[in-house]
Amino acid sequence: MSENTFMGVPREKIDWFPIIDYDKCNYCLECVKFCPHDVYEVRENEEKKVIVKNPYNCVVFCRACGKTCGVDALSFPDKSEVTKKIKQLRMEMEQNG
Amino acid sequence: MDKNYVVLPCNGLDKCAGCITREIALILKEKISCEIICPVFYRVADARYNKLANENQLIVIDGCNTRCATRLASEKNLKVYKKVNVSEVAQKNNITLSKELKVGEDEKRVIEIIINELLQENQNTSKDLEIKFPETLDYEIYKKDKFIFRLPKNGFYFNENDCWVYVDGNLARIGVTDYVQQSLSDIMFFNPPTVGNEISQFDEVGTIESGKAVFEIISPVSGKIVRINEKLLESPEYINENPYEKGWIADIELSDFESDKMLLLTFDEYFEKMKRKVDEFHV
Ligand code: SF4
Ligand code: SF4
Repeated sequence: MSENTFMGVPREKIDWFPIIDYDKCNYCLECVKFCPHDVYEVRENEEKKVIVKNPYNCVVFCRACGKTCGVDALSFPDKSEVTKKIKQLRMEMEQNG
Repeated sequence: MDKNYVVLPCNGLDKCAGCITREIALILKEKISCEIICPVFYRVADARYNKLANENQLIVIDGCNTRCATRLASEKNLKVYKKVNVSEVAQKNNITLSKELKVGEDEKRVIEIIINELLQENQNTSKDLEIKFPETLDYEIYKKDKFIFRLPKNGFYFNENDCWVYVDGNLARIGVTDYVQQSLSDIMFFNPPTVGNEISQFDEVGTIESGKAVFEIISPVSGKIVRINEKLLESPEYINENPYEKGWIADIELSDFESDKMLLLTFDEYFEKMKRKVDEFHV
């Protein structure tokens, strides 16, 4: 299975994954084709034809699929905020033994 | 640092800006222990100063646009390393210099600005920005089918995004690991980061591209990019040959490695991760 921790911190505690702006998305599915980590899922019969199904599969600090999106519909969280949070979580974990 | 500095102020005593050049020279002498050339004495006896100016990096400080110090330097055929014009700096910073000859608060600010600029330059240029990188590396190897994954053992750190960093004092060299190179297969294009850019940890520092995919290089450290591996522009295949040696990506002047280190992996930790990734994806 995929990684479930990042630098020792449980992956679910780290908010890093792509966010799709459905106002922009034209469902070209380039992002789905690109990412090898099973983050996206295609839903043929729904209005939102692509969703971020497994956000925590996304590799922390990867933004690679964002470049494949021609209409710039993908965004990611603020990197330095996330870095700060990870450091803080690690500190807490160390203190709790 | 193999060169020292020598400073030539105009020392114009009848203008405030000229008096400031003297102050600046005195502070520089204290801070970077450079020698001072007295322009008045230089005119009457130049043997000693010619030698001094030719053997060191010359900083010329003019008070105003009459540029007495610059003229003196060119009269004496000196090579000028750096030039400052006090009036220009004051103007640029919206400071009006006093008509008095004494150095007041506003003048002190101008002095401070100029000193800071000069010292920063001094740091950038005098510090030897050549990284000392080992001539040979000691690798641990993981094999999977016909693929070989090397990982250098000593002095390297890694991030989870498969990039490495080798640290030497306040300089670091970064690159990608064999895992990236093997996953991409033949790398055809290197899109370098911009030299001089300040980056923080986990920022993108260029991309590499193969027929298969584009890989974003994610910096393991924060700092300033001081050099890129220009050979890769011509020969990106060096990354396939050896991403740790001839296929390195960039050199970075570190800003806070102690803090970056908290989010980096040691050889042992990354080697385990890499093995797992290889097993998962390389089937
Ligand atoms: S690449 Fe962009 S436009 Fe295409 S499906 Fe993904 S998010 Fe939508
Ligand atoms: S950022 Fe990377 S890991 Fe995350 S979804 Fe995009 S390609 Fe996949």
